[in-house]
Amino acid sequence: MSEHLYAVIVGCGRLGALLANQLSRKGHSVVAIDNDADAFAGLAAEYSGFRIEGEATELAVLKEAKVDKADLVISTTREDNVNLMVAQIAKEVFKVPRVMARVFLPEYEDSYRRMGIEVVCPTRAAADMFLNALAEEEGSPK
Amino acid sequence: MRAARYLRNRYRAILSYTGLVLFIGGVLMLTPLLVLIVRPREAAGAWGFLLPALTMAALGVVIWRVFRVSGELALTLQEGGVVVLLGWVALCLFSSWPFIANGSNFTQAVFESVSGWTTTGLTVVNVEEAGSLILLWRSVMQFAGGAGLAIIMLSAITGPTGPGFSSAEGREQLVPHVRHSAKLVMGIYTGYAALGIIASLLTGMGWFDAINHSFAAVSTGGFSTRAESIGYWNSPAIESVTLLLMVLGNLNFVTAWLLLRGKFRTAGRNGELRLFACLAVLCSVALLLLTSAGMYATRGKDIRVSVFQTVTALTTTGFSTVEHAGWNSFGWLVLIVLMVIGGGTCSTAGGIKQYRVYMLWKSLIWQLRQFLLPRSAVTQNAVYEGERRVFVDDDRLRQIGTFLFLYLLVLIVGSAILAAHGNGLRESVFEYASAIGTVGLSVGITGPEAPGGVLWAKTVGMFLGRLEFIVIIVALSKLFRDSRSMFVPKNRG
Repeated sequence: MSEHLYAVIVGCGRLGALLANQLSRKGHSVVAIDNDADAFAGLAAEYSGFRIEGEATELAVLKEAKVDKADLVISTTREDNVNLMVAQIAKEVFKVPRVMARVFLPEYEDSYRRMGIEVVCPTRAAADMFLNALAEEEGSPK
Repeated sequence: MRAARYLRNRYRAILSYTGLVLFIGGVLMLTPLLVLIVRPREAAGAWGFLLPALTMAALGVVIWRVFRVSGELALTLQEGGVVVLLGWVALCLFSSWPFIANGSNFTQAVFESVSGWTTTGLTVVNVEEAGSLILLWRSVMQFAGGAGLAIIMLSAITGPTGPGFSSAEGREQLVPHVRHSAKLVMGIYTGYAALGIIASLLTGMGWFDAINHSFAAVSTGGFSTRAESIGYWNSPAIESVTLLLMVLGNLNFVTAWLLLRGKFRTAGRNGELRLFACLAVLCSVALLLLTSAGMYATRGKDIRVSVFQTVTALTTTGFSTVEHAGWNSFGWLVLIVLMVIGGGTCSTAGGIKQYRVYMLWKSLIWQLRQFLLPRSAVTQNAVYEGERRVFVDDDRLRQIGTFLFLYLLVLIVGSAILAAHGNGLRESVFEYASAIGTVGLSVGITGPEAPGGVLWAKTVGMFLGRLEFIVIIVALSKLFRDSRSMFVPKNRG
């Protein structure tokens, strides 16, 4: 990640804003999209990218964000289906090299991966962490 | 107590960046000395530059180092405003030093330095007697002040500090990262200047005049090396090169970036550009028909004068090809209106800005249209900004209204001060509109013998006009509030 990236973050909630802030701080060009202008309040002073208010599932909004030129698209809205759709459009229509999405339902993970989308599933991650913590306790001598 | 400690930490960062601005200013002040390579006879004046430049740079480095905060700190818009205000005041004061070393008094020196940094171009220096060092320093100040070079360099070099300063200084971003954007603006801007120098040389200017005039034209500054300004050459070729440079300087950098990438259609939708084209054509023709027709030796000269004066006033440059004293009242009025409207936002120009005027014009149209529609009709009011279609809400129009009120208020107060010093109404309004719009056209009130009150009134006007009031008000109120909570312990509760 040392070279300069053009990243589009879809959904500027807690996770999206955090990602956008970090990427911008690292010197990457970032465009954040959200359908609610108030969501941009989560962006910190260090964020120097653009903000676009609009539905990311609409082609016009994605074109405005110049997704065709993006190196990276991360979809982090709270709707799994929206994330899937945005990620698919980014992958298939705009041929973005690296597409990532958040998905809450663990059942969806596989089908996303088959489409070439990198997935982060907070539900599974949390479950794994709980299970690991339990496993450590069981394994340790009393 | 923890709040006070937090604030102190923030202010350390603010001071540290201000130190960096000073350092950049000091380095800039050394650049006029390069002229000594070619003109070594003027080396006697070198100390007047070396001393202030080195003091400034050294002081800047010390402040920067002493107050540097460990870790990366992003400044907010308000904090950026404080850096901009402190940096500008410090730069303007230090930059007056070389003028004092060359025999100006304090008032004149500060006036000249503010006129330089704000790219106004009103002058109290006798350019025929001044040495090359002083002349070049005036142009360098304008060049640097035009793009807010010190602030831009700060965003370009100091890593991830966020868009705080550049937005506080009224810069929009060209690309979605402040550092890339700042570098791009610097590239475009130096490109203009290089183009200007080459074109001026080709059209028959001497190298020294070419450098000075290009710097002063692309920054829409207007300091000249000749008492008659561009009129000295009386050459259509030189006038057209200067016209081109002034128009480039007046262009919003965002629009310029669109044009450079060949997106003419998108640029054509830009309201500022349309307004500029309309006003330039309309006013040139009006001036030609009603003012300059028959005033000069040939028909061609009449046309040249009306076009040049229109563009120089609208772009807030302030070069001139003729005296205005003999003009009729209509001509004066047109120039005053153009100076008040001013150039493009996010460019190097001043004035109310074409963008604001365009928005007010649009809102008038929308308002009128609303009357003709049914009461429950919903309309969408949008304008193009860069490549994006933006919907205009009342909040933005209110901000523009507030700005307009402040601008006109200061214009009236300033004109009143000039009138109180015994100048005519016409002259007072013209000169103050020229000062607050950072234009630099003068009808003779500004000069080495002008009284102190007049010069200070204009100095304040130029400063307010360049930084556009709001950032100054925000920065001052922040400083006032924070200084109370930082140093006065709260004993209540």
